[in-house]
Amino acid sequence: MLDILMSVLVAGLTTGALYALATVGLSLVWGSMGMLNMAHAAMLTLGGYAAFTATTTLGLPVFAGFAAAILFGAMAGGLLYVLIVRNLLKNDKATFESNVMIATVGIGIALENTILLTYGGQPLKQPLSVDGILKLGPLNLPYQNIVIILVVVVMMAVIALLLGKTRMGRAIRATAQNRDAAQLMGVAVNRVYFQVLVLSGSLAGICGVMVSSMTQLSPPLGNDPMLKAFIMCVVAGLGNLPGAVAAAFGLALLEAFIQYVAGARWGFPSLLFVVIAVLIWRPSGLFGRTQIRRM
Amino acid sequence: MSDTAKPAVLSLHNVVSGYNELTVLKGVSFDVAAGELVTVVGPNGHGKSTLLKTISGLVPLKGGSISIDGQPTLTKPHAVAALGVAHVPQGDMLFPEMSVLENLLMGAYLAPGKAEIDRRLEEVYALLPKLADRRNQVASSLSGGERRMVGIGRGLMMAGRILLIDEPSLGLAPLIIEQIYGVISELSRSGRTILLVEENPARVADLADRLHLLDDGEIVWSGPPADLLARDELLATYLGG
Repeated sequence: MLDILMSVLVAGLTTGALYALATVGLSLVWGSMGMLNMAHAAMLTLGGYAAFTATTTLGLPVFAGFAAAILFGAMAGGLLYVLIVRNLLKNDKATFESNVMIATVGIGIALENTILLTYGGQPLKQPLSVDGILKLGPLNLPYQNIVIILVVVVMMAVIALLLGKTRMGRAIRATAQNRDAAQLMGVAVNRVYFQVLVLSGSLAGICGVMVSSMTQLSPPLGNDPMLKAFIMCVVAGLGNLPGAVAAAFGLALLEAFIQYVAGARWGFPSLLFVVIAVLIWRPSGLFGRTQIRRM
Repeated sequence: MSDTAKPAVLSLHNVVSGYNELTVLKGVSFDVAAGELVTVVGPNGHGKSTLLKTISGLVPLKGGSISIDGQPTLTKPHAVAALGVAHVPQGDMLFPEMSVLENLLMGAYLAPGKAEIDRRLEEVYALLPKLADRRNQVASSLSGGERRMVGIGRGLMMAGRILLIDEPSLGLAPLIIEQIYGVISELSRSGRTILLVEENPARVADLADRLHLLDDGEIVWSGPPADLLARDELLATYLGG
């Protein structure tokens, strides 16, 4: 019994790590820019395919595959800012949130279909995956799960250090908390927005590699993690990064245990039940603060 | 043209500004010379805060010009800050989830290096010792008076050419107002150039070098504080007695 529970725990932690990576990218952009990036799923897919191309088509080593995923994710984020977001920000600020959401839905669809046209619809194997199992007594730990958890822990530590200890991170947090005050201190908020989208794109790229290493590469690869990440963000409170990570692990463990107890088909409905309950009883999220907005 | 013999740090010439279609400032002109404390008084809702926001770039300039040390200001607030304008806005506008120290460090965002940041921090702690005690406390948990002190400290950390302070007494208890004005008085004595916005002229009678009375977006009277306080008809007309 213990070995089964441990297996469920490991599966839950692995899924939680993937959700956390997807959620942090989404939450970072929302928290600092008030932008719901609906193209995040496609950016995640792009990262997975960039790693595939670098290692399989170009024959580059594993390290270069990771670098390609980060680079293409970052470039997608940077271009999204330069071509779309910057121009939408010049218009009425009051309509920015809805305009950018609609615009990124379109960009997401276009990017996903570009990937479909380039690589075809057949699922492909992500070469950046590690085979084999580590046996610890009665417990079987797939190496791939260990790699995912380690990569995500490292990424979370890097993000925490970046946001907490660097001048750039302080500017990002300041802009998120009070955009006008940040500008008065000399922060060029447009540069901060560019940095945030590049950072979020990089995280999406890595997440794409991790998710596809557990499943397979396909054009709609990012949709499921994006949907789950959105649920985590709502449950945590939009824009709350530590809360988003906690919600990602908490809900992934809940999903894993419900799938084990009641069957796989009850996993996703249980998450939807949680998000509905949170929206009814605590609309600003479990870790979010109630916002009063002057209309 | 400067109002005084000293060179002007800040010059406003026929400034027109407002929000979208609404024009709030309708041709405001005055100078603030180096080391001066100039106060703009006037009734609520007649453009005092808009004036400071226009200088710091938060509200767009629709006409006229603003210059710092003779150099025209740019339209982006971060570029205006780089020219040396330190704005302590109304309602503090702190970063609520950051500590007092982090808020102060944000003031020194454009500072050239760690040694300079440490020097400014020491200066601020010497002037506002309570901030040193509260350095690790989250800004949102501070009292109104403490928040105002952090706002002023953060403005000082910018080490700007001119400090713009917007209604520092707003919403505070009389004892705290006295402390805040004590700090402003000390800053003025140390030679800082300050443009202060205040609703009550009596509060700045002993501090300000000059007063400008702003009504409906226009300067309707300028002169020494004592002269305004002696003009009962002006006080009654524009400031309700």
